[in-house]
Amino acid sequence: MAGLSGRQLRAMLRKDIVMELRTKEMIMSMGLYALLTMVVYFVALSQAGSSFDPRDIAAGLLWLAFIFTSMLGLNRSLVHEKDQGCLEALLLSPVDRPVIFFAKAGGNLIFLLAVELLTLPVFGFLFLQGEQMDASSLALLPLILLAGSVGISGVGTLLATMSVNTSGKDFVLAMLFIPLMYPLLLGAVIATGGAIVGGAEGVGVFWTGMGWVVGYDVIMLLASYGLYEFIVGA
Amino acid sequence: MKSLTTKAMIALVLGGVLTLGAFLGAFLWAGVPDFGFVRTAEQVDSVRYRGPFEQTIDEARYLGNYVGYRVEVVGDGGQTFRGELTSADEDSLTLETDSGAVTIVAPALESATVFGSEYGRPDWGQKIFYFHVPVAEISFIVFAFAAFYAVRFLMTRNREYDTKQRVSMEVTLVFVGLTMATGILWTKAAWGVWWDWEPRLTTYFILTLLVVAYFVLRNSVEDEERRAVYGAVFSILAFIDVPISFFITRLIPSNHPVIERGGLEGPMLISFIVAQIGMIALGYAIYQLRMGEVQLRDRIEQAKTLLER
Repeated sequence: MAGLSGRQLRAMLRKDIVMELRTKEMIMSMGLYALLTMVVYFVALSQAGSSFDPRDIAAGLLWLAFIFTSMLGLNRSLVHEKDQGCLEALLLSPVDRPVIFFAKAGGNLIFLLAVELLTLPVFGFLFLQGEQMDASSLALLPLILLAGSVGISGVGTLLATMSVNTSGKDFVLAMLFIPLMYPLLLGAVIATGGAIVGGAEGVGVFWTGMGWVVGYDVIMLLASYGLYEFIVGA
Repeated sequence: MKSLTTKAMIALVLGGVLTLGAFLGAFLWAGVPDFGFVRTAEQVDSVRYRGPFEQTIDEARYLGNYVGYRVEVVGDGGQTFRGELTSADEDSLTLETDSGAVTIVAPALESATVFGSEYGRPDWGQKIFYFHVPVAEISFIVFAFAAFYAVRFLMTRNREYDTKQRVSMEVTLVFVGLTMATGILWTKAAWGVWWDWEPRLTTYFILTLLVVAYFVLRNSVEDEERRAVYGAVFSILAFIDVPISFFITRLIPSNHPVIERGGLEGPMLISFIVAQIGMIALGYAIYQLRMGEVQLRDRIEQAKTLLER
């Protein structure tokens, strides 16, 4: 494992982004999927009336949308690589395995963040209209979105690389991904909930959740980085 | 091959005897702790006498719970009455003394002392502790072995380590299942619910899902080499949940009980340790038996390929 080459990383990232800009497939499918999730949320909450505070459940609903959307995207990004023989070509080229990992994870992170940024205003418009919000604590939201997405795309890239080589791709990815994501998801929901509710207490809760997510990111990204070499070479 | 089975049988017998001994010790020798106590024996099915109690109460309405008890009542003039309480409410209380019934209005009550007996409610549900805790511990230990063999496999690419790793995971699955089953029974007995989304239970449930996911992953990969690598990598990732699940009850507030240093004494401690040793022997026996079977199957496969040539 030699050092990471910035040029190779940029070239591979560029490849993913150019492909996406031409087809717009990932953003379209993930964005529409997120939108459909909102419709399902409306149906799910339709009988609850107004007996609950939407701010309390907003964080959970948001991350639920993100986690399912990200699974869709992760699966697609790796299926493309495999079907078009791109992954094999990458393995043949003189590129270090960790570079492949960081390039794929980086691409997935960019698409996931783009979809999150599209989903967030739609979600706010549909579910949080007229709710009292604290602008200063809402400004913390990008931090947790970034930290959560880093974990999702890092571990997700590793797991998706495994699951594309299995029969029953999507199901295997869900089975591996959701239990492993549980600590991150819980921390992200706690932090997002804190940021949405706001106030001094909300900000305290935010940083607790943020600490969990960052800790998870560090441990799991190191593990994924170390183990990717075995997966991609197998 | 023969020695493997012998080792397994020895471990099986040893584990069986020790676990059985531990259960006998737990039920016949170690005491039953009290779950709480009640003041009237009729309230629960199985109770045992804990000793007398006396309690001083200074308001008439609180005496309503003690109708039928012997009381000593002091009025505001200093006069004392002894007898059996026949009724008590916010306004007045009545007691049957040797010289007839006495009624005292609430404002005139200085204090009343209730004399009675206290009964413990034996916590039989606690007995599952001698089974549940060792089983849970073994599930963690065997998982650690699986992760260790996974690392060894990735380092050496030796097929033997893959087999060991897979068999360890199978044993983990057995023990994880037992832990879940006994844990759920205990939760119902102690907390009154079958399940609670409580930190330890949640992280252990995640662990169960991860172990199941491991087998889902393995079964959906066709290529043998690839299956082994994926299994090893995933079990290393999944193992990260083990320390989390183990330490979480000590880190954040949790309903799940924790054994504290010096929290167990005498017969309870000895039974517990014997149960742990027995369970380790049983885990080892299951591992070896399964290992023997797998090796036998491999030999049959080899023999088949040789015959086909």
